[in-house]
Amino acid sequence: MKILLKQVIIADPRSPHNGTVKDILIADGIITKIAGEIDGAEEVLHCGGTSFASPGWVDVFANFNDPGFEYKETLETGAAAAAAGGYTNVLVLPNTNPVVHNKTQVEYIVQKSKGLAVNIHPLGAVTKACEGKELAEMYDMYSSGACAFSDGNYPVQSAGLMVKALQYVKAFNGVVIQVPVDKTIGQFGLMHEGIMSTKLGLPGVPALAEELMVARDIKLARYADSKLHFTGVTTPKSFEYIRRAKEAGLQVTCSVTPHHLFFCDEDLLEYDCNLKVNPPLRSKEDMMALREAVLNGTVDCIATHHMPHEWDSKICEFEYAKNGMTGLETSYAALNTVLPNLSAEQVSTLFSLNARKIFNLPAAEIKEGETADITLFNNDGDTQLTNETTKSRSVNSAFMNKMLKGKVIGIFTKANKFINP
Amino acid sequence: MKLSTSHLLGIKDLTKEDIELILSTAQQFKDVLQRPVKKVPSLRDITIVNLFYENSTRTRMSFELAERRLSADTLNFAASTSSAAKGETLLDTVNNILSMKVDMVVMRHSASGAPHFLAKHIPAAIINAGDGINEHPTQGLLDAFSMIEKKGSLEGLKVAIIGDIMHSRVAQSNIYLLNKMGAEIMVAGPPTLIPKYIKEAHGVRVEYDVMKALEWCDVANVLRIQLERQNQPLFSSLREYNLAYGIKRSMLDKLKKEIVIMHPGPINRGVELDSDVADGPHSIILNQVENGVAVRMAALYLLSPKSN
Repeated sequence: MKILLKQVIIADPRSPHNGTVKDILIADGIITKIAGEIDGAEEVLHCGGTSFASPGWVDVFANFNDPGFEYKETLETGAAAAAAGGYTNVLVLPNTNPVVHNKTQVEYIVQKSKGLAVNIHPLGAVTKACEGKELAEMYDMYSSGACAFSDGNYPVQSAGLMVKALQYVKAFNGVVIQVPVDKTIGQFGLMHEGIMSTKLGLPGVPALAEELMVARDIKLARYADSKLHFTGVTTPKSFEYIRRAKEAGLQVTCSVTPHHLFFCDEDLLEYDCNLKVNPPLRSKEDMMALREAVLNGTVDCIATHHMPHEWDSKICEFEYAKNGMTGLETSYAALNTVLPNLSAEQVSTLFSLNARKIFNLPAAEIKEGETADITLFNNDGDTQLTNETTKSRSVNSAFMNKMLKGKVIGIFTKANKFINP
Repeated sequence: MKLSTSHLLGIKDLTKEDIELILSTAQQFKDVLQRPVKKVPSLRDITIVNLFYENSTRTRMSFELAERRLSADTLNFAASTSSAAKGETLLDTVNNILSMKVDMVVMRHSASGAPHFLAKHIPAAIINAGDGINEHPTQGLLDAFSMIEKKGSLEGLKVAIIGDIMHSRVAQSNIYLLNKMGAEIMVAGPPTLIPKYIKEAHGVRVEYDVMKALEWCDVANVLRIQLERQNQPLFSSLREYNLAYGIKRSMLDKLKKEIVIMHPGPINRGVELDSDVADGPHSIILNQVENGVAVRMAALYLLSPKSN
């Protein structure tokens, strides 16, 4: 089947057509022609010269909860939410039941995802059962299709084990992903420690808990000379450490979430359980520093930290509520709302190019002869997610019903397409 | 006169006028409580449930007595012997109770913000009887009432809150209230039990030397060490706590002035407060308990459907 994207702005810094308005012809999942004017396709999508075509977006940290917690999300519903959010590739957390810590679990996800709208890449656990005690069979998982390694929501606490993991994955050019939290600090914390936590009478997690872990893991990555990716980074000090590590030539990269860019601890005044996330929403100053880190290029990628939870895990006392919110479907619009001056090139870089490089995913260049792996978006449309329109199985998002600026039009991947209404 | 709020979730949400209204209403009820017939018909036909998700003796009895003195019908619920122990959610429990035509909810809960959560989901008036380490508004009000009774006014009054500030909802409610009413506040205790950002959050003085705090203050509100709310060791031993931070008679004797000693109870005797201080002439601890009933009557009355 032939699909023609009419009058679309190409947002791919590697492409000679970058920044120009073109027609793109996709035939059976291959970009067959890029030119000023093309005719003769069965299906035409008019983009009016205002929408952008980016290399397909990659989410580097989402929890699809399948198997084990299918009442929160399944690979199918997660993939549908990803497609609606413009993602063609998603790295999914190993925090399932059973944990993705061996070949069997990796193969389950790989096999079960084959027919789905987007490419799902399992993250293998670093340690068995994500318990932080013994290394999991990372080589075997890598050979079966694990894309990178992480204990997901249970970051590796032992420095000794972490350095071994970093060394171990070098054999197959692997990457370890860590949510940087030292759990001995603010162990019982429910939100960011600061003026707001004091006023609200909630135990806090100090920024220190993150910064110590960032500093420690950078040292470990230097020692192991290995690849480390921090996700969910939230404090200016952490960015300073990461910036210095990059300047020193270490293979350290990082990602931030849209919700940490959009909300801060002051939004917790009403004890909104949808805003209970880990790492916690930090102070307003931290949030502004985060935005700056996105603009100045310290941040490599956007990670949704899509954490679906059933109703009862969120409609309860704040202390008992589970951490996390869904994020795939609002990710771009949330970012575009708070950072409207990001260029389309920066969006492509943050949402796709950097993650593809870091995690060794196909390049997805917008070029004749390449497989079509494209996300179409614009920055002047509106996105308003509601309980009725969400494709996720869960509705735990603080972005629900918010009118956000920017819209994902659709994706082309796996010789298929998904177009938002 | 009406309160500006339909629930009493915390002192944080009250205006100065609200506080004055509750305290003046409490004074009227206190006068009633001195009469031979202590009961008034104010809340006849109003049904109130006392939901206690955490153990309590004096607060629960004080509320229950206040409700009965107002002629309300009362229901008591203790989590340990109820459907909560069978895993029922808070919302289910409360909705079930409200289906039985209950008008008001008094709740104590170990999770900060639990009454705020409930207020978003149910139609009845809620009175917070203590939520986690957040607030205990009626305790804040009865402490204020007792301070005014003893010292005349809160304006410019120097109040030291001493002890486990970190785990104390009493401290937080006292701080919110005293700040709104123009008192000066100092918190004192071991650094591990004082929230790091309390100065920035509330504009209070912070002191680690209890003797200095006593020298500074007019009123010392000594807090209970909340061993049950400490998940990790924050000081080495009760013995050392008493040595370094306990209030002893000899300390009060060294002061060149009379100060008032308060405590929200229950007292850990020989830990934060020595017995000769708790039972001594400086102490107004039992007055606090007495005033608690009047203050709770005022809060219940002002928030009841009859006043709104």
